[in-house]
Amino acid sequence: MGLREQWAETLMGLLVLVLAAGFLVYSLSVGGVGRKPGGYDVTAKFGQVGSLAPGAAVSVAGVKVGTVSEIKLDPKTYLAVTKLTLDPDVKLPSDSTAKVTSDSLLGGVHVAIAPGGAPDDIKPGGEIDNTQGAVDLFGLIGSVMRPQGGAAPAAGETPPAASAATAPDSY
Amino acid sequence: MAAVQAAIPGIFKPLRTIGRSTLGALRMVGGVGVFAVRGVVSVFTPPWFPIQLVRQLAAIGFFSLPVVGLTAIFTGAALGLNIYTGGGRFNAEQVMPQIVALGITRELGPVLAALMLAGRVSAAIAAEIGAMRATEQIDAMRTLSTDPFRYLVAPRLLAATLVLPLLTLVADIIGVAGGWLVAVRILDFNSTIYVRNTMNFIQGWDVGSGLIKAAVFGFIVALMGCYHGYNAKGGARGVGRATTHAVVSSAILIFASDYFLTTLFTAA
Repeated sequence: MGLREQWAETLMGLLVLVLAAGFLVYSLSVGGVGRKPGGYDVTAKFGQVGSLAPGAAVSVAGVKVGTVSEIKLDPKTYLAVTKLTLDPDVKLPSDSTAKVTSDSLLGGVHVAIAPGGAPDDIKPGGEIDNTQGAVDLFGLIGSVMRPQGGAAPAAGETPPAASAATAPDSY
Repeated sequence: MAAVQAAIPGIFKPLRTIGRSTLGALRMVGGVGVFAVRGVVSVFTPPWFPIQLVRQLAAIGFFSLPVVGLTAIFTGAALGLNIYTGGGRFNAEQVMPQIVALGITRELGPVLAALMLAGRVSAAIAAEIGAMRATEQIDAMRTLSTDPFRYLVAPRLLAATLVLPLLTLVADIIGVAGGWLVAVRILDFNSTIYVRNTMNFIQGWDVGSGLIKAAVFGFIVALMGCYHGYNAKGGARGVGRATTHAVVSSAILIFASDYFLTTLFTAA
């Protein structure tokens, strides 16, 4: 059972280990699990985060610049408070807008940031004031496909109950 | 009167057979149990044989890598294709990375690595110890006041229990790589997105529960090999029978314990 008699198997074993290690390294480098050191945190409050989860990407113009590191509910305002950890090279103007968007219909949710034009940047520990929460896709589909047809509430501003009460019954 | 006496054995023959096989099964279960306890005790009590342990770690662990790797990569690839086809029936091809990763880490990685180990190692252990039993080397060992449990059984039990989780970790990675290979090469997935979806989806417990399973399976594989080899009777044929029994019983026990471990882990 010595290593010398089984050199072919030894070699194969090493090959398997090297392949596994290679794929693991590739996954870790691409998967974005290992975070860059020295990132800074900013907070953003959303009315609705949908299926956003810690670890989700934060992007500017589609390029990943950080991750969502924490999500919790503010018990006073009932807003979802997210902590975003951003790449230190990326400075965001103070009037930037953070928005929860989905990659695809079924796919993951991430935070997209649209940079503003203000001269001063958001400091580490600061807050992104302009936010737009997740769009409830099924609620949207539901409001479009309401049996009342006709006047779908403009951008969801009219409460559905009120419009249902005032709309003449077309059936 | 004589007729009744003659009739009794005839009537009770089936009962006698049932009784005998029940007792036999009980004796077997008890024997394995006692053997396992003796094995565990000898793992934790000196004298230890570190050179034997290292030798077994290499034989059981390192030299199983090629087999485990090949099994894992083909299984991952086939699983990926099947999930892609199945997902396509309700337009959910995109969930393939997540399901492949979950299936491999929670279930297929540990079970397939354990089955490969059962075929490769359990049989080898049974044959080795069985041959030593047949040629009375075990009795000779005892005469030289070396405890065969500490010298033969304990290193194998410990080595298999330690090494199968590591093999499973390799199988997990290579299995996911198999699915990734098919997805990227054949199904036109984006490599980065595939990997990122996998990494974001997989949780520590998915891999961890698989590794705990693997440790249990490793113990089973070595235990069955040692038990059947140690209790081999009747020369070369007995050794052959011990080998078969070792492989079959460890495979069955792996599947059975897999179910119960999974219920335990999914309930938690």
